[in-house]
Amino acid sequence: MISPATMVKRAAPVLACIGLLAIWQIASLALKHDSFPTALEAIRAIPDILGDKESLINILASLRRMAIGFGIAVLVSIPLGLLMGRSRAVAAFFNPLLMVIYPVPKAALMPIIMLWLGVGDITKTLVIFLGVSLPVIYHSFEGAKAVEEKMLWSSAAMGLSSAQRLVRIVLPAALPEILTGCRTGLVLALITMITSEMIARQSGAGNILFNALDMGQYDTVYAMIIIVGAMGICLDAVFERVRARLVRWSEPQFDIPLSFS
Amino acid sequence: MISRVISANVLFGLAPIALVIALWQGLVSFGFAPTVLLPPPGVVFSRLLQQLVTWTFQLEIAATLIRLFAGFAIAVVLGVSIGIAAAASPAINAVVRPIVRVLAPLPKVALYPALLLLLGFGHGSKITLVTADALFPILLSTYYGASMVEQKLIWSAMAAGTPRHEILFKVVLPAAMPSILTGCRIGLVISCIVVFLAEMITSTDGLGHALVTAARTFQAVDMFVPLITISLLGLILNALLGALRSYLLRGFPEA
Repeated sequence: MISPATMVKRAAPVLACIGLLAIWQIASLALKHDSFPTALEAIRAIPDILGDKESLINILASLRRMAIGFGIAVLVSIPLGLLMGRSRAVAAFFNPLLMVIYPVPKAALMPIIMLWLGVGDITKTLVIFLGVSLPVIYHSFEGAKAVEEKMLWSSAAMGLSSAQRLVRIVLPAALPEILTGCRTGLVLALITMITSEMIARQSGAGNILFNALDMGQYDTVYAMIIIVGAMGICLDAVFERVRARLVRWSEPQFDIPLSFS
Repeated sequence: MISRVISANVLFGLAPIALVIALWQGLVSFGFAPTVLLPPPGVVFSRLLQQLVTWTFQLEIAATLIRLFAGFAIAVVLGVSIGIAAAASPAINAVVRPIVRVLAPLPKVALYPALLLLLGFGHGSKITLVTADALFPILLSTYYGASMVEQKLIWSAMAAGTPRHEILFKVVLPAAMPSILTGCRIGLVISCIVVFLAEMITSTDGLGHALVTAARTFQAVDMFVPLITISLLGLILNALLGALRSYLLRGFPEA
C-alpha cells in the first residue's frame, strides 16, 4: 500500500508542472500579448510538430548527437578523473589546464570549430563532448580522492595490482560521485546541443525553435520550448532511476546541478 | 621546502598549457593548418592587447559586464532568499521543492526565444536568461547549507534570547555562508558563459556579438579575441570571488 504522504510526494512534480502551466495560462490571458500564446495553444501545437516527419527526424538527429557526445565524454572522462584522484602527479599535470578551460563557453567554440570541421555532425558532437567532459572529470576526481586509504591498503596487501585496484576498489567507491557528475553532464549535454543548434542553424531542435521564431509561428516556438523542457525533465528522471539502481547502497545525495555550458 | 614542492607542482601544471600553445604554434608553422583558419598564438595575443585599448571593444566588454552583473546579482538575491525561506519553513519547502525539481533540469537556453519575444532584443532578455541559469545552483546550495545548520546553534541562540527573525541573520546565514559562496561561484561561471551565448545567438553588441560578426566575415583572429576575453573575465571574476570568500570566511575552520 502506498501511504497518502508518499502519494503526495510522488505527485508533487506533476502538480508543479500543472501549476506552472496554469500560471503561464493566466499570465498570457492577462497580458494579451500577440507573441505570447496561452499554454493551451502551445500544447495544442505539440502534436503538429511531433507528427511532422521532418521535424521528428531533426529532433531525433539532435538526440543522436547528444547521445554520442555524452557517451564518448563519459568513457574518456571517468578514467581520467579517477587517475587524477589517485595520482598526485596526474592531478598536478591536468588541473591548471582544466581550470583554464573551465570558464570557456564550450558552445562558443562552435564558430571556430565550424571553420575547421564544417557545420556537420562532427562539430556539434565535439562541442557536446567538450561540454560534458568537465563536470564528469571533476566529480570523478573528487570521488576518487575521497576513497578510504584503508581499503586500498588492504586490497594491495591481498595482491591486487594498481590497475586492478582502480577498477575494483576506486571505481565502485567513487560511483555515487561519478553518477552525480554524469547527471550534471546529461543536463549539460542537452543545453549544449540546443545552443550549438541555435548558433549553427542548420538542423536539429534548436533550429526548429529559431526558424519558427523568424517566421513568426509563435505557437511552434512555445511548443518546442515545452518539448525541449520535457526532454530535460524526462532524461533527468530516467537517469535518477538508473542511479538509484546502481548505487542503492549509498545515501541519496542532494546534488547541485552545475549547468554551465 | 614546502614552497619548492609547490613551485615544482606549478611548473608541472604549466607544462600542458605550454604544450597546447606549442602544439598550436606547431600546427601553424609546419603548415598543417592554414593561417586563415588557425592564426598563430602570437598574432592572436597581440591582437587581443591591441583590441583591449580600443574604445569600441571596451564598449562591447562593458555591455557584456552590465548584463552579467545584473543577471548574477538578481540570481544571488533571489536564490539566497528563496533557499533560506525553503530551509526555514516546511510550507514554503513543500511548494518550492517540486517546482525546483521541474525547473532545474530544464535547459534554460530554450526559453531564450520566448524571452526575446516578451522582453525584446535589448538587455532585458539577456539579463533574465542569465538570472534563470545562475539561480538554481545558488538556490540549491543555499538551501543545502541552511538546512545543514546545526540545531544546537539555533537552540543556544534562542536560549540566549535572540528573537526569531534575528536568528536568521545572525546564525543561519553566517553558518550557511560557505555553501552559499560555493553556489555563487558556480553561478558566476555560468553567468559568464550564458551571457556570451545569449549574445552570440542574437544581439547587437557585446563580446558574443563580436565573435559572431568576426565569424560571418571569416576573421579568424577576431574570433579568438572575444573568446579569450570572456574566458579571462571568467577567471578574473572567479579569483575575485575567491578573495571575497576567504575574506568573508575568515575564522571558519576550513575555508
